[in-house]
Amino acid sequence: MHVVLSNIIAIYRRELQSYFVSPLAYVIAGVFWFISGLFLVMILLGPDGILAYATAKDLEAQQYGVSLPPIDFSYEFVRAFLDSMGSLLLFMLPILSMGLYAEERKRGTLELLATSPVTNWAVAVGKLLGVLTFFITMLVPLLGFEAIALSGSSPPMPLTIPLLGHFALILLAAAILSLGMFISSLTDSTILSAVLTFAVILLLVFIDVIAKNISGPFGTALGYLSLLKHYNILIQGIIDTSSLILFASYIFLGIFLTAQSINALRFQR
Amino acid sequence: MIEVEHLSKTYGSTPAITDVTFNVEQGEILGLLGPNGAGKTTTMRILAGYLPATSGTARIAGFDVHKNSLAVRQRIGYLPETPPLYPEMTVLSFLNFVARIKGVSAGDRTNKVQAAIERCNLQDKHHVIIRKLSKGYRQRVGIAQAIVHDPPAIILDEPTVGLDPRQIIEVRNLIKSLAGSHTIIISTHILPEVSMVCSRVAIINSGKVVAMNTPENLRTQLTGGSGYELEIEGDAALAKQVLSQLPGVSLVESVPTPGMHEYSPLQENRTFLRVISQPGTELGGEIAAALMRAGFSLQQMRRVSATLEDVFLQLTTEEKNLEIDTQTAETKEEGAA
Repeated sequence: MHVVLSNIIAIYRRELQSYFVSPLAYVIAGVFWFISGLFLVMILLGPDGILAYATAKDLEAQQYGVSLPPIDFSYEFVRAFLDSMGSLLLFMLPILSMGLYAEERKRGTLELLATSPVTNWAVAVGKLLGVLTFFITMLVPLLGFEAIALSGSSPPMPLTIPLLGHFALILLAAAILSLGMFISSLTDSTILSAVLTFAVILLLVFIDVIAKNISGPFGTALGYLSLLKHYNILIQGIIDTSSLILFASYIFLGIFLTAQSINALRFQR
Repeated sequence: MIEVEHLSKTYGSTPAITDVTFNVEQGEILGLLGPNGAGKTTTMRILAGYLPATSGTARIAGFDVHKNSLAVRQRIGYLPETPPLYPEMTVLSFLNFVARIKGVSAGDRTNKVQAAIERCNLQDKHHVIIRKLSKGYRQRVGIAQAIVHDPPAIILDEPTVGLDPRQIIEVRNLIKSLAGSHTIIISTHILPEVSMVCSRVAIINSGKVVAMNTPENLRTQLTGGSGYELEIEGDAALAKQVLSQLPGVSLVESVPTPGMHEYSPLQENRTFLRVISQPGTELGGEIAAALMRAGFSLQQMRRVSATLEDVFLQLTTEEKNLEIDTQTAETKEEGAA
């Protein structure tokens, strides 16, 4: 057990180190911060933003002289922002996960890992933790944005909802990265890996659209598999065990398939 | 230490190696010699636990490479054909990483990494990013990662490829210095390397071990004793007959092209012959005397000895008889040394 843990840490540290010197990682982080900042501004101040919406509602209330139920401004903001982050991830994460194994295959370092006393599991877990840590680092500046936006809210926003929302964001990312890691282990072309991952994620995201068109228990079952649906439940502030289990299953499935695929790779050749 | 029994591997329906069997004793250096595509890399990958064999078994330090893969992987260092390097890491951090995943304990790590760096002469490069290293240095980092955890068995796939002559000598010396405490298998297609470095050679061709012995024995065993190249005036057929009747002569053949000999009109009537005697016989005098008696005039006579190169060519080209190949490379090997 101790050995496995120290192996995971070794892989994890190497993976993290490589992000610090990778130009690609910096570019991804930069683009991510830029776009998420843009989203934030749009959601708050844009023509269809929450501020404009609230003002319109106020005007309406005054005009008709009826008192509408008050809008939970900060809640709406957090939900809308995290919702847009969820969609952004679908485009960003395949780029993060594409090289996880494809690069190792291309450079021949997989042969080093496969002939070292490290199990495929430990490698996969270490890699996933590494890329997830990088992703969480990317989120940190966003917390600053949000803190500024929410600091003006009165009454003060309870922390539970944004906390759960960000936790859900990380879970969603982990699930996508885990599947992306598996796809990356199937090929030694990073581009192919990114494109395939994107396609699979798109399918998993819109699976509930497909499910709605299929009647009967199969459709319902399919609906449960949708990543974005469960993400939306969580960012509303609802702790739904089935959503948590779904994300955990995706993460586990990704790691399991990766380990199997590396094993199978050695048998095919 | 390393036992390989009836190992076979097929890719789809093409056999890569067939029924490979050999043993490497503790502290020995075995050279796998063979042309490209002979199955050297496949054999080594199976030993390293990277590929499963189709049939047969291989054991390292008593552990089956497939069934006890993790136990084997702890005990081997492996340098694949292309050194497995992370280009963005420095030499030092890379070796530290390898030491970690090979299970070197934290207390031991600094010492072992330092020792590997010194052994591979990387002292002045240890803070350089691997991407910026030349091919020779990368190869050395590759060797360093194979020995960093001081494994009892070391498998090196073409360790001297891409090195300059000075580095080749250094690496060979390094490998030789590892023998004794380590058991080593190296693969190569450079013939002199085998006789310089290895204590035993297995020649592999089309996936089969065609010969296995010490480099010296291989030479004598397969080429017989010494041979002579003769230039004589007179009828070739008659000369052959005379010579082959001499006791101790195992083979007489005509050399089709005069090779390095100057060819002039004076040599119109001349024949070039090669005579090979049985091991342990010295027939120079007898040959000369026999030719004189039969009335031939002997213009030139020189001793040729087969090099490992000749053995290799014989074994790997589809020639049935064990004659010395057309090249007379008498001192080529010593020259290369």
